[in-house]
Amino acid sequence: MVKTEYEGIVKMLRFFVQTKNFSYVDRIGNALNPEPVEVALLEALRAFRSIRESASIEGDGRRYVEKDGNKIPMPGIPSDEEVKIFLDDVRSDMGVAKLVATLALAYPSKKENSGGDE
Amino acid sequence: MVETAGNYGKHRRVPYLVEEDGKLKTVYVPAMSGESLAHAYQEHLVREALSAGLPVCDDCQRGEFYKSMDEVHFAPKLFNREEVFESVLANLSEVVDITISVLSSEIEKERNKKKQNEDKIKELEKFRGFMENLVKSEKPRDYILKNLSLASQVFGNYVIKKGILDLPPVKIEDIIVKSCVVEDVGGFLYTGSAPIRRSSAFQVSYALPVKSVALFATSEPQLHARHAQMDASSKKGNASEQMIYYVETGTALYGFTFNLDLDAIGVSAITSKPILDENEIKKRREASLKALFRMLSSSQFGAKLSRFFPVGGITELIVAVTDHPFVVTSPIYDDYIEKTQRRLKVLKSFGEESFLVVAGEEKVPEEALKEAIDYLHEKEAF
Repeated sequence: MVKTEYEGIVKMLRFFVQTKNFSYVDRIGNALNPEPVEVALLEALRAFRSIRESASIEGDGRRYVEKDGNKIPMPGIPSDEEVKIFLDDVRSDMGVAKLVATLALAYPSKKENSGGDE
Repeated sequence: MVETAGNYGKHRRVPYLVEEDGKLKTVYVPAMSGESLAHAYQEHLVREALSAGLPVCDDCQRGEFYKSMDEVHFAPKLFNREEVFESVLANLSEVVDITISVLSSEIEKERNKKKQNEDKIKELEKFRGFMENLVKSEKPRDYILKNLSLASQVFGNYVIKKGILDLPPVKIEDIIVKSCVVEDVGGFLYTGSAPIRRSSAFQVSYALPVKSVALFATSEPQLHARHAQMDASSKKGNASEQMIYYVETGTALYGFTFNLDLDAIGVSAITSKPILDENEIKKRREASLKALFRMLSSSQFGAKLSRFFPVGGITELIVAVTDHPFVVTSPIYDDYIEKTQRRLKVLKSFGEESFLVVAGEEKVPEEALKEAIDYLHEKEAF
């Protein structure tokens, strides 16, 4: 499990990585100043909400999308508080954005079947 | 438009540096990619080339600019022109014999495998059957043209890939350039055993909002609805009855740069020697300029034109014709016309001739382009 204050954001970005959409994680990880991170996160959240709301729901209430025959579980939407803390931290230290993107690309230390809380 | 996510179609956006109160800041502005503009230009080039009676390959005629990206996409160019077919495949029976023996050994190999792939064996047998019929046919080229897709597969994957035909890079480039104006002007990357790259004779930038309006540029999501007809038995409120979706639209005053190297048309990228005769080169140069004229005049560039046709037009245009490489100052700056004029003056002091025409309030873009074309005509560029 990710032990950072930005767990929800990492899980959301990891979902995009699993669906082979590296655009958001690359833009956040390679950003040189805070603006690209803000824009990439806004776009990622917009896309994520859209995909999540039309995703299939399993018997246990978990949401998932199918890609190349694989069922990819969808994590929850990051909380507003978490997003705010993340963006504030990025404004003071760009290293935070790189850390979050790196964690999203790494293999999770514990198998996350749910991909996050529901 | 770039990328869709769920019910949201995003407009391409790029980071842009602007100065505000003496400080630099990054803003995101709507943009049009150079790839999109280049695609539009090449579509116009297809039409201009065809109307001038110049050759364009089948893929490019369909607006699918794969170019001669591999042996299979290159193979049709061996058959399309009588003279190429005759010169390259003069020894057809020998080529067919070698190919049949290669295919037979491939079939044998597949059959001896522990896990046999029936589909692969069937395909190889089909290829071998085609080659056997080819050598028996009275008019082999006609037979190939009738079975073009199958012929491209066999010739691409076996005859060319296995080196049965002697095709050095210079010969391959020669065949491609002679067969297709779009690949001559727009370049290609052939990824065969000896990769061949031909750089595009034209270059195009991204279309970006000009500096003075960058902060006023907008990108707005517009709501749309798709309705589906429902039969009487369907329940009301079914999700498939109506789908809402958002499409982003951008508004700005855009600027972009387009360079065209007329000297590169019809000339080998490997040997730097002309591949075509002078008359054909001139015709191709004229077609490539007319394609640019048509593209700007018709506004047929950008995405989703059928329902998002831009409301507006070209406000300014500047054309510079020089003997040596020169690029006009980027139109994102307000003073780009003056700057270009000053830069050309410096070139003149070196004894280099140049031609400059500006379209703005007094002249429409078509008039400026026509003047440039007339100038080139006088200079006997075509």
